[in-house]
This record gives sequence, C-alpha cells and structure tokens, in this order.
Amino acid sequence: MMKPYFDGLVASIQERIDAEPDGPIARKRLTLETARIGSRLFAGDGTVAWCGVLAPFDLLHAMGVDSCFVEFVGAVLASTGGVEPFLEEAEAAGYATDSCSYHRAVTGAALQGLMPVPDFLIATSSPCSGGLAVLENLAALFERDLFVIQVPPFASEASVAWLADQLRDMARFVADHTGRELDEERLSAAIDATNRARALMVELYEIARAVPSPARPRDLVNLGIVFALLMGTEHGVEVARIYRDELKARADAGVAGTPGEAVRLLWMQNRIQFKHPLERLLSDELGAAVVVDELNDVLWDPIDPDRPFEGMARRILSIPLVASARERIDNMKRLAREYRVDGVLNPCQWGCRQGAGIRGLVESGMGDVGVPVLNLEVDCVDPRSFAEGQLRTRLEAFVEMLRDSPRPDWR
Amino acid sequence: MRRIGFLCTYTPLALIDAAGFAPYRILPVTEAPERAGLLLHDNMCPHVKRVLDRLLDEDLPELAGLVVMNSCDAMRRLADAIAQARPELPLAMVDLPTVRGTTAESWLTQELGKLASILEHWSGQPLTPEAVLASADRLGLLHERLEAARAHALARAGGPAAFQELLNRCVSRSFDESLAELASIEGEAGGPAAGVPVFVFGNVLPDPEAFALFERCGVRVVGDDLCTGTRQLAPTPLAPGGLLLRLLARELLARPACARTFSAQEPHAFAGALARTAREAGAWGVVAHVAKFCDPYLARLPALRERLELAGLPLLVLEGDCTLRSLGQHATRIEAFAEMLAEMQP
Repeated sequence: MMKPYFDGLVASIQERIDAEPDGPIARKRLTLETARIGSRLFAGDGTVAWCGVLAPFDLLHAMGVDSCFVEFVGAVLASTGGVEPFLEEAEAAGYATDSCSYHRAVTGAALQGLMPVPDFLIATSSPCSGGLAVLENLAALFERDLFVIQVPPFASEASVAWLADQLRDMARFVADHTGRELDEERLSAAIDATNRARALMVELYEIARAVPSPARPRDLVNLGIVFALLMGTEHGVEVARIYRDELKARADAGVAGTPGEAVRLLWMQNRIQFKHPLERLLSDELGAAVVVDELNDVLWDPIDPDRPFEGMARRILSIPLVASARERIDNMKRLAREYRVDGVLNPCQWGCRQGAGIRGLVESGMGDVGVPVLNLEVDCVDPRSFAEGQLRTRLEAFVEMLRDSPRPDWR
Repeated sequence: MRRIGFLCTYTPLALIDAAGFAPYRILPVTEAPERAGLLLHDNMCPHVKRVLDRLLDEDLPELAGLVVMNSCDAMRRLADAIAQARPELPLAMVDLPTVRGTTAESWLTQELGKLASILEHWSGQPLTPEAVLASADRLGLLHERLEAARAHALARAGGPAAFQELLNRCVSRSFDESLAELASIEGEAGGPAAGVPVFVFGNVLPDPEAFALFERCGVRVVGDDLCTGTRQLAPTPLAPGGLLLRLLARELLARPACARTFSAQEPHAFAGALARTAREAGAWGVVAHVAKFCDPYLARLPALRERLELAGLPLLVLEGDCTLRSLGQHATRIEAFAEMLAEMQP
C-alpha cells in the first residue's frame, strides 16, 4: 500500500511541477523529495533504518542508508485520510489510547505488516519517552538491532562531547550492519550540503519574517521538522534554494501570502496532519496568517567539517524540544518578537508530554510578553475525535480577541 | 536533620545521606487541592501532578533542595513546573541514561559529580569519600533489614499493608532513623497470609490501603516490582579505593530495570525478567498497576502481556492515579481475577 502511494505521489507532484514550471513550486519540491524518500524506504532494495526524530540524517545519507523518523509515517498515514484502521489495530493490540497517536499509527502499520522490515533501528531518547518506546517495540517486532542515541537535556561542552561520541559509535554500528565503512569524503560532502542548506534556511526564515508574510498558508507547514530528512543531500540544498528564491521574490514584490493579513500567529510544535478546514478558516475567513511554525528555525552554527560529530551533536542539542520548558518558551518569545506575532496556537496533541504537557507554562510565559495563547484540544493524527465546530468557534473568538486587543509592543 | 526531596528510585541516596541530609521521598499522597493542571496538561502522569500539587500547596516539610532524575518526560515537565512555581526551592536535575553501557556509565559519573558539588554547596560541607562509603554501607544494611521485614510481612495476614507503611516511613527520613526503627520492631503477630498468590508490577502505588484492598479481594501479594515497593532503597554497594562515583553510576545503572531503562541489545528483556521473578516468587498471576499517561509503562504492556502468557501467568492491568480512589473502582476486577486464578490453579 505505501510503496504505490509514494510512487503515485512522486508521479503526480512531478506532473504538477512540469505543468507549471514558473509557478510556485517550493512546497511541491519539498513534498516530491520527501515522497521519494518514502518510495525508497518502501522499495525493499536499499539499506533502511527506522529512526527517532533527532537522528542525524545527513550522517545516515553519507553512509548510504535510507532513513526516516517513524512519526513521519504516522503523519503520512493521517494525511492520506486512512489512519483509523492502523490506530485501531494498535489499540486492539493493547496500546493505550492515551499514548501518542503518531506512535500508535506507526505501531498499527507495523503490526499489519505494512512497514518494511528495516536493516536496523536508531532511537533517540529525546524528544519523548514514547518515541523511544516505540523504537524498542519495533526492534522487538522486526527482530532487528537497535542503537539508542541518548540526548542530554542541556547543551554544554560535556554533553556535546558525550553526544558526539555516541554519534561515532552509531557510525560504527551502521558500518557493522551494512558492511560499508564511513567514507570521509562522502561525510564531508554531506556536511557541506548540510551547511549550504542551513545557510539558505537562515535566509528564507529571515525573509519569512516580513510584514505581511510572503509565505502562503501551506508553504512553511512542518518545514523545519521534515527538512531534517533532506539534510546532507543536494536535493535538500535545492529545495532550500527554491524556497528562499520564491519567498524573496514575493517579499520584494510586497505580495502577501495571506491576502488581507490582519493577525499574525505562531503555531507551536506540530501541525494537524489530516485534512481539516481550520487553516483555511484562519487564512480565508479570519485574515489570520500563521507566519511561523515553532520548529521552523535554525539554532545551530554551521558544522565544522573537521569536527562533524561535534557539529551534529550541537545541532541535536539546539532543537527546542530537547531543552527545558523555560528555554523553549524563551525561544518562542524570540520568534514572536522577530516575526511580530500577535498570538500563539498550541495544538495540544493528546498523548504528547511536550507542547501539550507544558501548556500552562507556555501560556504564562508568553503572557509575560503580551502574547496570548490558544490551547486547542486536538489530536494531530487521530481524526476520530476532531471536534470541528468547537475548534472553529474557539479560533474565531481568539482571532476576534486578538484584533480587538492591544497588540504586543513589536506590533 | 535537613531534608532533600527526591522522586525516583534511581536517585543516588548514598550521596544525599553522605552530604548530611535526610533523603525525603515526595510520595503522591496528599489532600492538597488539585492545581497542577494550571501548569501542566491533564494528560500528564498523576504521580507528577500530585507531587506538584504538594509543592504548590506547600504540603511538605521544609526542604533544603530537591533532586529530580531525568527519568522520563513527566519528570522533566515536573522540573519545568517547579522551576516556575517554586523558584526559591533549590533544584538539581540529574540526567539518567536510558540504556546501559560504558558511555552511559561515564556520563552518569559526570552527572553524579555535578550533583555531589551541588550537595556540597547546599550543605556547606565537603562530601568526603569516607562519608559516601559509610552511607552506601548504611543503605545496604537498611535494605537488608527491610528485606527481612518484607519477608516476614508478606507471610502474614495484613502484612503487605503494614510493610508499605513502614516502607513509606523509611523513604522519607534519614537512614539512621530508619535503621533505629528496624532494629526495634519485632515481628508482629498475625495469621498466615491467605489468598491467591500474585506478583504486583508497575510504577507508583504507595498507599498501604491498596495492599489491604488486594487482600480483601482474595489476593495475596508474594512480591512486587514497584517504584514505591522493592525498587526503593536498593543498595549501591561501593568499595574503597576505586573511583567512587564511577562505581555508584555502575550500581545505579545495573539495578533491575524499570520500564524507562532498557537494553538496546535485548529489547523487552524486562518482560522476561519479570516473568522469571514472578514465577520464582510463587505467583499464579501478575497484577500490573500503571499510572495513567505513563508512556514508558503503557507502551510496553502489550509485550509484557505476551511474555507472561508464554510463561503461563495471566495479567491483570489496572490503570490508576496512584490512589485508592481509582484502585477501589477496580475491586470487582481484582476479585474476578483472583477467582479465575483460583480455578486455574497451576
């Protein structure tokens, strides 16, 4: 089921790009490249690793491994509109409905035999205990070896050193399982690609801060999370370049991504992955633009090609989900200031102890800088409990309140 | 004696004792109003929320500091909430590796070194190797005596509940005070324990009444693997002459793993280990009591059920909020489980 889906997606996106080569294609190129990754993962003829969210995908690319974080599969299943049977499969097998639906979806898919058996698995202890557990479960189910990257919850010279050592051990683990040693030249090329993509991402995020935002409503959705899969590849560099150029052209021309942009919003953590009308409601009916996703950010320095493992370790430790809530909220305050945001939307993914878990702290912290937060009780993967009417009413009231309230200083 | 609060059985109690503090386990047992939801989502584990309720309500003795092990998402979130709600309370977070191994041991050694420095700062006294060794010895003695008391308690009617009361006292005061009580108690009288033998597994179940309820439901607890049970006050034997913190890190990581610590080389090894332990204890079945929203446990229950089935040990899963309030609702299920086990007596 998944291989034909990804193959079909590749073909249809390519067709749409070819049909309109001068139109906006950045989002399509991102989808195309991620669909190609999906296609390779499910092809059954390469070296495949199922991973945790923070795995170093550029290092894995350099070692010839097709890899992906398992939550991506949950998101894809939700986006196809067919996730329910997989959630039900996992629940029937005893996985609690209080657990994260990203993990239940991928577990259900694995139990139904839909996931290709990987060559090995690489878990990351951050961002969540649930993600770690699902990789352990999959390792047991597939009877494949598991490597665990333990991510310290803070950045320091000692934590960078420990994490870098683990990444070296991971490379050894991969080499042992593939029979292919880490090629220094391929690693250098991957790090070079990562650094070039990084520079372009920094530029495009700077451009995206313009008022009005040049980004159309769906352009930057989940970009920071998904782009990790393209790190270390020339395709990634190309996607970032197209994004940068398109946004720059629109910003230079003063074109608003959301016509009539009246309210600017920050979306915390993940988007809702299944089809739903709320984003259109915001942009088309309420004049509210989501101008930044929390994880669309570059908080790491270019990777020193002479110390690639330390550089990748610093990058992992820079991800806001790794840090304390206080640091994460400080980062959101910075984003709110830079993007001149009026309010924050926090989709409180049921089963997530991260963004949902700290929602009271986020409300309080953002309140310190005059930015209201709307907590949406919504499951981002499981559509069975999606309460459109309630969510619509709450969003309307929130945007109305933002329009009528004094704006933060930066507005 | 000044107290240092702690929450997780992986906390290096010997260091706290050696620094001149009484380790005080903050159990989620309280009449404090439920206010944790103001800071954390309702989908957070009840253990953490009730501990936060106690901190918000100041339903605690005076603490010189609090040590939080980075054992799971919920503990990290608790540390986040405490940092905001009780900024005056000195807080130390110790990162705890999830899998064992040489690099994990080295990292934990560094983390323990940081904690030792913090404890020295809090106490104003140097933390000497001699003091750490002496504390580790006292912890070992305490564990030994508690095990003797446990063996006696489990064999008699009413024993498990009484022992849980004793255990709750022992985790919330100095080693010396606990040793003094253990030296003075005499084996209490009571008829032999009755009921179907079961092994209790899970995380947080500190209420002695819970064990009395098990007994009333026809269940005899013959052993446990609980964060508030046998996993508490586990010894960390140290020998002079070595790198003490390294040894301590090794001992902490080597203890029987709870669900948050696992072997990358042997996924789900805990399930097999639990089946063996339950069998050795003479159990006919296993009761898992798991706090709601506890990801490390909930995610591994299907694997546990499968392994126990292979071992011929039926499993009853009770999800709760660490209190009798929720456990009481399961009384009928526990009774039915006991009846089923009695009928299929091995």
